[in-house]
Amino acid sequence: MNEDKNLVEKTLQGEQKAFEMIIQKYQQPLLNYIGRMVGERELALDFTQEVFIRTYSSLRSYKPQFKFSTWLYRIASNFIIDYWRKKKIDTFSLDHQKKMDRDLPPIQVPADEESLVTKFETSQLRGRIERALDRIPSSLREVFVWRHINELSYEEIAEIKGLPTGTIKNRVFQAKELIRNLLEETP
Amino acid sequence: MTCLSIEQIYLYIEKELPSAKNREIQKHLADCPKCQKAVEERKLLIEAAESLPAWETPLGFTQQVMARIFQARVSPLSWLGAVVSGFASMILAVVLFALVTGQNFSDLLRGSYYTLLNAIKNLSPLLAKILKLAPLLLKILQQFGEFLVKGLTLLTSLISPQVQIIIITVVIVIIASSIYGLRRKLFIGEKA
Repeated sequence: MNEDKNLVEKTLQGEQKAFEMIIQKYQQPLLNYIGRMVGERELALDFTQEVFIRTYSSLRSYKPQFKFSTWLYRIASNFIIDYWRKKKIDTFSLDHQKKMDRDLPPIQVPADEESLVTKFETSQLRGRIERALDRIPSSLREVFVWRHINELSYEEIAEIKGLPTGTIKNRVFQAKELIRNLLEETP
Repeated sequence: MTCLSIEQIYLYIEKELPSAKNREIQKHLADCPKCQKAVEERKLLIEAAESLPAWETPLGFTQQVMARIFQARVSPLSWLGAVVSGFASMILAVVLFALVTGQNFSDLLRGSYYTLLNAIKNLSPLLAKILKLAPLLLKILQQFGEFLVKGLTLLTSLISPQVQIIIITVVIVIIASSIYGLRRKLFIGEKA
């Protein structure tokens, strides 16, 4: 964590090499996140570049009391939301998401719960998860990717989104249940 | 303990529960095949999700980003390089012009010298007046200069160096041709 802060400081002092190290460290996780959010490789690569450019331009506004990685993901998240707004792609309104957060009960496992996961082989399962991911609401997909692909903690995700940790946990498990239910429908 | 909620199952798998609650769940799972099956099911889902293939960045991606970031940030005086290149191209153009058309280059230079001399002679009374107003003019010129530098710096950050050289060369050639053409016209007029 301190390593990132040192790199930021060195970049601000004019050391280009330090920012190059930041790019090398975060290009892969950032592309994994952006790629799964937009679904197209070329677009994802372009957006990843844009996010790094935006990050460099606003580096002076970075506050070292926060983790650099969460700040970077927040820039990326806002970038994607801006893109969807411009493209008029439905990003799920805040009210809709609040309703989803409220409505979710502590679901109990039904007595006759069907096994949806164990019937697939691992490689088959991965393919189905990828396709199911495209079909779940973007607000749920985002937290799922951060948690299970970028392997961020719930606290880090809560910091990125500026939401309570409980809400984030709730959304991640909604995402997983939705994906699980979509496994069979997804070819 | 009653059967687990789905949220509890996920938090248990991800080790997000306090240890006392964890032990309680483990105890329940030992006696409840339904919850055992549900935990197993979701464990597999998470394992598969966490082993999804990574999106790889292409070779040279870092350099591409670095080039995009640092190419856009040119030094404030970078336009000077473009001006020098412009003049160099103009000189080359004049030499080529002389070689192709066969016109005497020294005559051309001599003509320019007389034009300049005449201009100084004609403008000297005006220059004397300008000298009186020098402090004010200097202030205006300074402000104009600052504005010009800012403008050119902004332009150089927007236009690539190659395009800058082409633009400056074209402008210089147009100015040079206009002066040359005007001088020729005046010369023909004098002859007539």
